[in-house]
Amino acid sequence: MSIQHSISRRSLALIIAAVILMLAPVLAGSNYFLHIAVLVCVFGGLATAWNIVGGYAGQISLGHAVFYGIGSYTAVIMMLRFELSPWFGMLVGMVISGIAAVVVSWPTFRLKGPFFSLVTIAFLEVVRLLAIHDQDLMGGSSGLTIPLNIGFEWMVFREKEYSYALALFFLLLTLGVAWLIRRHKMGFYLLAIREREDAARAIGINLVSTRIRAMVISAMLTSMIGSFYAMYLTFIDPDATFSLAISIQIAMFALIGGLGTVFGPVIGALIVLPVAELMRGWLSTYANGIHGAVYGLVLVIAVLKFPRGIVGGLATLTCNEKARIQSLLASHANKGFLQDTLPAQVSDGKVILEADGLVKRFGGLIATNHVSLQLKQGEILGLIGPNGAGKTTLFNLLSGFLKPNSGVIRLMSEDGEAVNVVSPTQCARLGVGRTFQIAQPFAGLSVLENIMLGAFLHTSDVRAAEQIALDVARVTGMENQLDKPASELTVGGMKRLEVARTLATRPRILLLDEVMAGLSPTDIDQAIALIRQIRDAGVSVLMIEHQMRATMALCDRIIVIDAGAVLMEGTPDEVVNNERVIEAYLGSGYKNAA
Amino acid sequence: MDVFLQVIVNGLMLAGVYIGISIGLTLIFGVIKIVNFAHGEFLMIGLYATYLLTTYSGLSVVQAIVPVMLLLFVLGYAMQRVVIQPLLNAPHHMQIFATVGVSTFLMNLALLVFGADVHRTEVPNALQTISVGGINIVISQLITLVVAVSLAIVLHLFQSRTMVGMSIRAVAQNRKSAALMGINVKRVYAITFGLGCACLGLVATLIASQYPVFPTVGTYFVLFAFVIVVLGGLGNVTGAIYASIIIAIVDSLAGYYISLALKEVICFCIFILILIFKPTGLVGKESGA
Repeated sequence: MSIQHSISRRSLALIIAAVILMLAPVLAGSNYFLHIAVLVCVFGGLATAWNIVGGYAGQISLGHAVFYGIGSYTAVIMMLRFELSPWFGMLVGMVISGIAAVVVSWPTFRLKGPFFSLVTIAFLEVVRLLAIHDQDLMGGSSGLTIPLNIGFEWMVFREKEYSYALALFFLLLTLGVAWLIRRHKMGFYLLAIREREDAARAIGINLVSTRIRAMVISAMLTSMIGSFYAMYLTFIDPDATFSLAISIQIAMFALIGGLGTVFGPVIGALIVLPVAELMRGWLSTYANGIHGAVYGLVLVIAVLKFPRGIVGGLATLTCNEKARIQSLLASHANKGFLQDTLPAQVSDGKVILEADGLVKRFGGLIATNHVSLQLKQGEILGLIGPNGAGKTTLFNLLSGFLKPNSGVIRLMSEDGEAVNVVSPTQCARLGVGRTFQIAQPFAGLSVLENIMLGAFLHTSDVRAAEQIALDVARVTGMENQLDKPASELTVGGMKRLEVARTLATRPRILLLDEVMAGLSPTDIDQAIALIRQIRDAGVSVLMIEHQMRATMALCDRIIVIDAGAVLMEGTPDEVVNNERVIEAYLGSGYKNAA
Repeated sequence: MDVFLQVIVNGLMLAGVYIGISIGLTLIFGVIKIVNFAHGEFLMIGLYATYLLTTYSGLSVVQAIVPVMLLLFVLGYAMQRVVIQPLLNAPHHMQIFATVGVSTFLMNLALLVFGADVHRTEVPNALQTISVGGINIVISQLITLVVAVSLAIVLHLFQSRTMVGMSIRAVAQNRKSAALMGINVKRVYAITFGLGCACLGLVATLIASQYPVFPTVGTYFVLFAFVIVVLGGLGNVTGAIYASIIIAIVDSLAGYYISLALKEVICFCIFILILIFKPTGLVGKESGA
């Protein structure tokens, strides 16, 4: 109760401060002051829009001025050619920018960090050169001048107060969109992709469509602000509009404020831009380029000294999240996740996952050599074998991460249809959950958020995902770590998180890759009990495990793999007494000990 | 036909410039695995340094080679130590921001110091041509080509024959194992970065007579350098030479047969297509994807 109270008082204080800040330029009554305020709104808005792609999704676009320029030019050209209001041109520009965003991001989604940046720069350069080349429509290098029609429908005003009000409106609109995205499933998904692509695919996130959606939204907002700013400037030309320097500036404000935070980009612009503008005002006659040099220097220092930005740095100091999670836990009724939430299934012994004649080659190495296996509903199937036998490769094939050279994998869908496995995302959506041998947490997110990401496979509602995550955390014994960043967990904790995140996707089939390696004996006992409970709830389990005690205790059947091929298949007792298995894997010491 | 041949030869001559500019970037990317967005600005510094030395201290362009290369070696060494080294294990985007920041800073610093004016390094007889079978060749371009190819060969020999060169290759293969073998990785990285920039110093003195210098001259060249490094297979010196020749000839053909204004558009479109369809480049193992 007291926590709720203090939060609302804090946000009230923040809102009042923000309103005062917004009114200040008007009250000050100076046109120069208002001009800077408009700039802060415009660049704060651009940085906020950029942040949806650059911050949330971690794709550093250095060509965002393309969308800004499309917005500018479309509005101006519609006005000059057809005497249409820039409000209309703005909408058309947004549509064009949205299409351009698909064209840019769809083919380039697989490019890594700097190469994505390079492609965006190349796109920007191409558009800029074409704009310079095009005399008829875009006015070539001399640019276009906006006719001076004054009035709301033309977005041009005699008094700067009105321009400022409009700039503020567009900023708040952009912030609203960014805030909504961050608070919803889409924001979580973008952060997940940024942190770890493979883990994101394993919980059913479609990387391509999620990234494209982010780019389209970001581009449309950027374009919208571009249209407005063109009207404010009353003049545009290719070099200043399709400008690499502007693209960099936008990204810089976001970095300084805090990448991936909602309000960081605006705060970055609010702090850096006025200082640079004032310096330009005072010094420009003596020192051309001074504000650019300051921008560059600030950027380097920010990267080296404050990589998390102003807002990102402050966020670690507040303990709001911890208190919130505590109160959530306190009010959370234990629903019995395993029995109630996991999809109810009859353990009727039908085959639910089947591999037939799988072959996978890496160059000359045959990692998987004609492997066939069947996983039956409600059983625990063990997969053992020496290091390098090809167990994890088999897992990657079964979960769609690798494509076999030959052979098929069939999966029984919920309706009882056999479906061929083609991609990790499809696999996850059909109810296959997998963990990774080397834990792949979304390191920058909290444990709670990590588990929620799994839950989002079956719900779009943040509250519902939170409830599922709390249930899962109870079952997997992670309640006390929910507020920790995943990067701060121990190795054992990360393994546990792998299982928790996968469980939250409510799998029908669970593929566990060495979840017990590195656990203490007590932890192993707990893990054995957990896996048994999961199976009893109707989930079929396929597990790779070197921990023989757990394998023996849990598995109904065991498949032994050696050098890529199936060595034998049988009950645990048959396997441990088999001469060939002892020779290839267990070692004679195991026989003597047993 | 003569015109076509002349255009092709012009392209070949241009390749010298591209080889020179991209070889340092290739070296840095191949070893340190970092994309240096400030590469063009180092070239800009080299061009300004050449201009200042030849105009104000009476050195000839040839005499300026050693001081300019030394200057750029030191700057590159320092940049690696101060900016790149602390970010080696940082996420990609931090490395991008850092080198973009250095680029912005240097470009505007040049604007601050030298103004936006275009300066030209005057070299007597720089644009003299010789005629071979009706094909005209600009002598300074020919020299650039010869020196750039020699530079590539020297660099190759350095990497395969000397201790320092071999430790650079070892670090490029596997940073951690190299460190375990007693190689001072930090030093190797700094030397590599310095060498990559020193290559630019050499190129700057060579092309100073052909290209004027202004604060944003680096931006023009750096995109071409990136096009070549990617096309050449990211970190592969031989690949970069082939790529330079291809891009230079495309550039030359497009400039003559399509439009002088659109030749860059064509090169950048090729770049985009390569990154989309074959991010490993022509011969490379590293991948942009």
